[in-house]
Formats: sequence, C-alpha cells, structure tokens
Amino acid sequence: MLTIKQSQNKFFRLLFFFIAIILPWIIGGVYVLNRSDREKNVKLINYKVNTIPEVDHSKFDILKQDFKTPQQITEACLSCHNKTDQEVMATSHWKWAKPYIKDNGDTIMLGKKNIVNNFCIGTKSNEKLCSSCHIGYGWKDMNAKFDNSRNIDCIVCHDQSGIYKKATGDYGLPAKKEMVICGIASHPFDYKKVLKSIGKPQRHNCGACHYVGGGGNNVKHGDLEMALNKTSRKVDVHMGVNSANMGCIECHKTKRHDIKGNLYSIASANKNRVSCEECHTEAPHKNPILNEHTDRIACQTCHIPEFAKVNPTKMYWDWSTAGKFNPDGSMMMKKDSAGAMTYHTKKGSFIWAKNVKPEYIWSNGEARHYIMGDKIDPKKTVHLNYFKGTYTDKNSKIIPVKRFTGKQIYDAKNNYMIIPHLFGKDTTSYWLNFDWNKAAKTGMAEVGLPYSGKFGFVSTQMDWPVNHMVAPREESLTCTECHSRNGRLAKVTDFYLPGRNYNNLLDVIGVIMILLSILGVIIHATLRIIKK
Amino acid sequence: MKKKTYIYRRFERFWHWNQALLILFLALTGFEIHSTYKLFGFQNAVIMHNIAAWALLVLIIFAIFWHFVTGEWKQYIPTTKYIKAQINYYIIGIFKGAPHPTNKTVYNKFNPLQRLIYLGLKLFVIPVQIITGFIYLFYVYPDSPAIFFNLEIVAYIHTIGAFMLLIFVVAHVYLTTTGDTPLSSIKAMITGWEEIDIDNEEVRMAHLQKAVEESVAGYYRLDKDGNITDVNDAWLKMYRCKDKAKIIGQHYSKTRDKRNISEMDSIVKRVFKGETITGIPVIRRCFDESVGKHILSANPTYENGEISGIEGFVLDINETEELTDHMYYTVRNSSAGYYHLDENGNIVDVNDAWLKLYKFDSKDEVIGNHFTFTRNPEDKPALEEAYRKVMDGETITGEIATRKCKDGTTGKHILSANPITIGSKVSGMEGFILDISGLEETV
Repeated sequence: MLTIKQSQNKFFRLLFFFIAIILPWIIGGVYVLNRSDREKNVKLINYKVNTIPEVDHSKFDILKQDFKTPQQITEACLSCHNKTDQEVMATSHWKWAKPYIKDNGDTIMLGKKNIVNNFCIGTKSNEKLCSSCHIGYGWKDMNAKFDNSRNIDCIVCHDQSGIYKKATGDYGLPAKKEMVICGIASHPFDYKKVLKSIGKPQRHNCGACHYVGGGGNNVKHGDLEMALNKTSRKVDVHMGVNSANMGCIECHKTKRHDIKGNLYSIASANKNRVSCEECHTEAPHKNPILNEHTDRIACQTCHIPEFAKVNPTKMYWDWSTAGKFNPDGSMMMKKDSAGAMTYHTKKGSFIWAKNVKPEYIWSNGEARHYIMGDKIDPKKTVHLNYFKGTYTDKNSKIIPVKRFTGKQIYDAKNNYMIIPHLFGKDTTSYWLNFDWNKAAKTGMAEVGLPYSGKFGFVSTQMDWPVNHMVAPREESLTCTECHSRNGRLAKVTDFYLPGRNYNNLLDVIGVIMILLSILGVIIHATLRIIKK
Repeated sequence: MKKKTYIYRRFERFWHWNQALLILFLALTGFEIHSTYKLFGFQNAVIMHNIAAWALLVLIIFAIFWHFVTGEWKQYIPTTKYIKAQINYYIIGIFKGAPHPTNKTVYNKFNPLQRLIYLGLKLFVIPVQIITGFIYLFYVYPDSPAIFFNLEIVAYIHTIGAFMLLIFVVAHVYLTTTGDTPLSSIKAMITGWEEIDIDNEEVRMAHLQKAVEESVAGYYRLDKDGNITDVNDAWLKMYRCKDKAKIIGQHYSKTRDKRNISEMDSIVKRVFKGETITGIPVIRRCFDESVGKHILSANPTYENGEISGIEGFVLDINETEELTDHMYYTVRNSSAGYYHLDENGNIVDVNDAWLKLYKFDSKDEVIGNHFTFTRNPEDKPALEEAYRKVMDGETITGEIATRKCKDGTTGKHILSANPITIGSKVSGMEGFILDISGLEETV
C-alpha cells in the first residue's frame, strides 16, 4: 500500500518527468513563433544622396545665344566641356554596338546594324525612323563612319524643361517645323527655354527612349514605362515618390558618360552590370536561409513578382497577319477592351498583358544573339537572343525575364532572317506599299545579304531580363511560390528543388507501405480480439 | 516468477519520449516541406524541421553516451536464438493465447525481434536520416564541397528513411499492446516500472558483481605473478589509497610490512596449490604508511582449468574493539559468507559459504524466508534495529552477531551490511559474514 506521501511523491516525479519532456518544446515553440525575419531597417552600403547643388547652366552667357540648329548648341557645350565629345562617342549609347565573340572565335562589333529583334525587326533601311532614339543628329547609314562631334545630341539627356523632343522619323533631329509622321506629331520649340534647364539626366531623359522601345509606351521592356516618371512605392520601391524616390542614374552610375548597365538586346558580356548587391550586400536578409538563396537566385527573382504593373506590355507580335484592310480600303485597327491595339494593318496582330508573372531562366550574365546571316531552322522557334547559364555553372543565377514571342519574316530559301524595309516615303517600304517582297528586297540589299525572292514567317523568341518595378518587401515572393509542386520554377527543371521535386514511384510505394502496415495492424488486432 | 521491477530508468524514458515526439514532429514538418500538405507554412516548417533536427542530434548524442555508460547497449546485441519463435508467436501463438516465447527481464528487456529492429534503427535508419538530413541542410548549391552528392539522391534517401520510420512507428505502437495488458508496456515506459520476469541466476550474478563493487568488504584479485589486477573501492578506502592506478600492476608485497611478507608469501603459495583460505587475520600496510588489521579470504581463480590467479575479500577489524589480536586467529578457518535481503527483509540470495556457516544443505531451504529465522528470539530487537539502519541508507562494518544454525546450534560472526539502491530507492541490503565462533572457546 502506498502512503499519501508516497503517492504524492510518485505524482510529483511523473509531473517533473512530464515537464522535462514538454519544456524544450514550449521553448522551441515560443522561439519559432516570436522569431522576426523582417529587418527593421534596410541594410545599405555605398548609397549616398547628393544634396549639394550642381552647376547652374542658366547663368552661362554662351547658352543665352539665339541658336538656329541643334549642332550649334553642341558646339557651345563642347566649348566648355572640351574632350567630353570623345567620352560620349566611346559609349555604346553613341556606337549602338558592343564587341561580341562569335562561335568561331572572331570578335565583331554587334549592334543594331546586324542584329534582329521581334518587334520592329531591324534598323537597316529604316534608319530614318530608328535613329530617332540615337543620341546623335542625322545618323543615316549605320555602316558608314559617324564621328563628327557636332552631331552629339547633348540635350536629349540633359534637358530638364521637358519640352525638348527629337522628331519622329528624321534621323534623330528635332523638328524644325510642325510635322506628322506615322500619326505622331512633332513640334519645333524654343531652345532658350531648354538651355536654361540643363542639368543631370532625370528619369524622363532616359525614358524618352527606354520607355518607348518597340514603338510605344512599355511595348518592349514591360518594366520600364512612362508611369515610372512619377510612381508609388507599390510599383517600384526605389522610384516611388512615397519611398526612396531614386532616379535612374542613382543605380546606373555614370563615369565620364559611360553609364553602368547592360541592355541584353545587344549586350553579351557579363561586364559593367548594375547589381542590387552593390548597395544591399550579398546577405541582405536577417534569415540565413534566405541569404543562402542569393548564391543561386538573383534578387529580382523574388523581389519582382510581376511587371507591367501600371500599363500593359506587348507579349506577342505576329507580323504574318499584317496587310489586311477594311472593306472600304482604309487601314484595319482593332483594340481590346482596355484600349490596347490588337491589330494594325501595318504591323499585324498583338497580345498585350498587364501584371505579368515573369518567366525564369538560368543566367550567368552572358548572352548570345542571332546575327544577320546566321542560318535558322524554320520549323523551330528562332531564339533571337538567349542567356547562357545552367544549374551546374556556379556563376549562374535564376533571373526573371519577359519572354517576348512572335512571328516574323525570313528568307524561305536561304533560311535566314530578313530585315524588311518598313519605313520611308518610297516605292518599296512595307508601311506604304504593303508588299513583303519589295520590302525584303530593299531591306536585304541594305543589309548586304542576298534575298532569294521567297519569304515566309517563322516563330521567334527573345528574353528581356526584368530588373525594374521592384516590389515592396511585403510583396516579394514567399517560399511556396517556388517550393511547391506547380510553382514559378516549374520549367527550370535541371536541379532538385525541395517542395517541387519528388519521386512519384517512391511516394506511392511509401504511402502504400504505410497503409499496408496500418491494415496489418487492424487485421491483427481484430483477430486478437475475436480469438480472445 | 513475475515481479514489479524498475525497468526503464529516468533518462531512458526521457530519451524515448522526446525521440518519439521529435521523429513524429520531423515527419509532420518534413512532409510539409515535401509539399504533401500545407500546415505550418513552408518557411515555418523548414525552421521547425531544422530546430527539431538539431534537438534530435543532441538527444541522440546523450543517448549514445548513456547507453555506453550504463552498459545498456548490450541489450541491443542481436541474436537469432528464438527469433523464429518470436515471429511465430506474433503470427500464430498470440491468437491462441500462447505465452511469450521469451521472458522480459531487466537484463534482457527486448525480445530477439526487438533487438534486431531497434539495432537496425539505431545503426542504420536514424544515422542515415541524420546524415542525409544534415547534407540536405548544409548543401549549398555547387559551391558546397558536397558536390559529389546529388541533392536529388540525398533527398530521395531521406524520404525513404522517413517512410521507414513511419512504418516503424505504426508497428511499434501496435506491438506495445501485446504486453500483459494492452496498456502495460506504455505505462511502463511512462513510470519506469513493469511486472516482468525475474531470472534468478541473472539477478544473482548482477548482484554479486554489484555487491563486490559496492560492498564494504574489500575485494582484490592477483594474477599468476602475484601482481594486483583489480581492487574495489572498499579495498582502496581500507588501504587509504586515492588512486586506483597506483596499485594496479603492483606486487602484493607492496601492501605488507616487511615482517609479514613471509607469512603472506606462504598463504599465496598455498592458494596457488589449489587451497582456499577462509578468513585469516593479517596486518596491512596502508598507503599513508599506517598499519591496519583485517581478515582475509583467498581462493584461486581458474582459467581453462588452470590456476590463473587469486581473489578474495578483506574485512576491516580495526573498528571492532571487542576483538583482540588473539581473537582473530580464531576465525582462521571461517569462510566469508554472502547474503542478500530484499526490502521486506526476506532472503533473496546467499552463497555456499553462508550455507556452510549456517549448516544448511541447500539454498532452497533459506531463500524467501525472513532474515530473523536465523536468529535467536532474544537477539531480534537489536537485529531489526540494525536492519532498519541499513534500510535508511547506513552502512555497517564489522558488527558481531550471533547466528542460529539449522541444527539449533549457535555461532558467532562479524558481518558487514550495506543497502542496495535502485535510483534513490533502497531496495534491499547485502553483505558478507566472517566466522569468529572460536572466540568464545578461547575466552
């Protein structure tokens, strides 16, 4: 018989035993629940805001003259900023080309003169329009030498009045008189007002070209558009007026007019790239597991969950349907409910999208490009650019891209891409004559490649890395966006991703074994009870 | 014979239940990471899984240490003996109400099937889970030195291990119901106590070993050359030696005064010839150069039928004031008897020397009886007082007592008694007796 004291003793021993088991679990639970992964402050290095005022150009008499041509302004600029012309003309903004090592080992200058894209296709024979985005005046032939420093357009990047504008379709020159080309009006303006405002480039200077690539706002990039001129934290955490309110050149740091950053429609080398780590470090998170991710996952992958957050971007462009007219002979134009053009006689059909989830690819920073003259297989989608990188290459990271696809003209006999002559008041331009044969003939003559006379349309694809419209941290991706069976990385299949990958056979066998053991237990127990 | 026995010690139970909880928790969070279901949220599941993994690692390191320190690892030595019988029992016998083919005892807690399965878990499944788990945890894409492991393979092995553990849990939990009552095994794992079989021989061997280690009687063993190979703590205390290493390997003559060596030499010589010495009073030289007296027993030890050394006990008689130098020569022919009582005072075990002293023919006549049956009624109060003292944790060395033999005659002996403890509980007492019956006649 147990006395009261003994049974009390026994009870307290068991209680102590119970506490000894449970206590570590309570401590662990409290730790996990009260853990905070959020940084109180964003960790920043190398980030400085310039508060001291710069030179006031409105005080310079030389800029108060009555300028007749834009080249005279450039001369005035260079009279003080001597040698700056050489800086500018050494940049890819001037040259529109960068060195590229071909598969055979030759280094060539790769640029707009010898690449193709799947928007407006190519510059050759269309320079009058395309040069509207060059930082020079009057670049007519991209194969010819273009090195007169008078032709540098200083103002397009340095105008802060907002009234300076290159005319659409006049080799990059501003309008001398009222003109309308392709439905876009260009106006002459007062140089004096412009010159009073000269200063460091702001968003709208960069955006003058980079927002409207492909012929309209947000057509090309999807993450660069006019809405960024004045935007909110929700759209871009760096540029939002209610957050850091940073300009382009605060990340795209510039040294002697050489602006940091690569545009992978042309760039191919892993050089001079802008990186988040420069300010945010390689270990920006409090949670070490998240920091481990930065080894193989680019910051953008988690922090840009979607792009084209304000206006839609073009996702697909089918040139093969171009050339249809309304019964009355007028040009056919169709728009979707949101007002985006889905068909145009000149260009064919489009698909637009808003709030687009990016595609994900491996990238080590190097890209390859289709070069005019390269043979293609018309049965397959032609990759006009693609990124190098695999899971096994340890310099590769997973990056988000906008994948732009379409159909465009190619030489059906020679099996290479065609740059058609689209723009021009002449007898062969497609946008005036709507004859692909004529346009191809003129375009390929300019390129310097034979045209067989037979053309077709081939599917093409380009990848545009998404680097802007960085979301506020509370909107960045959570684990299961990728660590799940059908997550965002479902197509990046060359590695084992916890939560995504599993061996179906193994799981099925495992579950069957567990069920069998439970069944065995039930049968055994039932028999025991019956036999008893 | 079944008896309520303390079978699972405190740490063992702590380890078992925490390991059980950790394995289930690791499975719960692990299969969420596997995307089998959503429960805590992926990030929480990962953090919890990692913390639990570290906790399990620490627990297992402690458990390994515990198994080696307590010698419990021996419980897991696999055996094929009775394994077929055990399987047959689970498949057939259990339905017919057949008895378990193997007995559960303190020294053989697991049946052969359990031994095999638990050893497999300890040596294979759990190590594989821990190794693959930590590779998984520290695998940082190709930068890792573990590049030669493909994470995919590591993950699959880890998944297989998880399934195996879950299947084990199902079977293990079910088989706990096959004890005496459906809940008796689980109850035992909670309280530590279970009604189990007592293997007398096993208990006796273990008690004897323990008795030697913890007894107040000193124990020694010599090799063929007369060098000391082992002594117990009581021996060290008696010789005032603090460091066991100082005595092991020394010749026995080191423990004697020069004038006594020749006597000792002759004793050793006799024992090496096969004789057994039961109780000779001798004078020892302690390590602090002081001198003490004790009664010594010595018997040869055999190896492969040949005498390989000597062992025996010593009982201190310095504190026994009634004994004079003259007296202990009278116990020259006595032998050291051993006894063991349970917590109720019943005799659990005695040795042959004890039987001889009490003139019994067989152990069966003695075991199970209360110790007082060997005493004269008038001595009972004093004896019970001494018994209570020991049961309260005291140790008695060299007390003189009068015994009542089987044939009604009486004898005198000095006895030692010390409590036997399990955990912090006194569960009985044991000790040695050396005969001094010659004393009366001499006086």
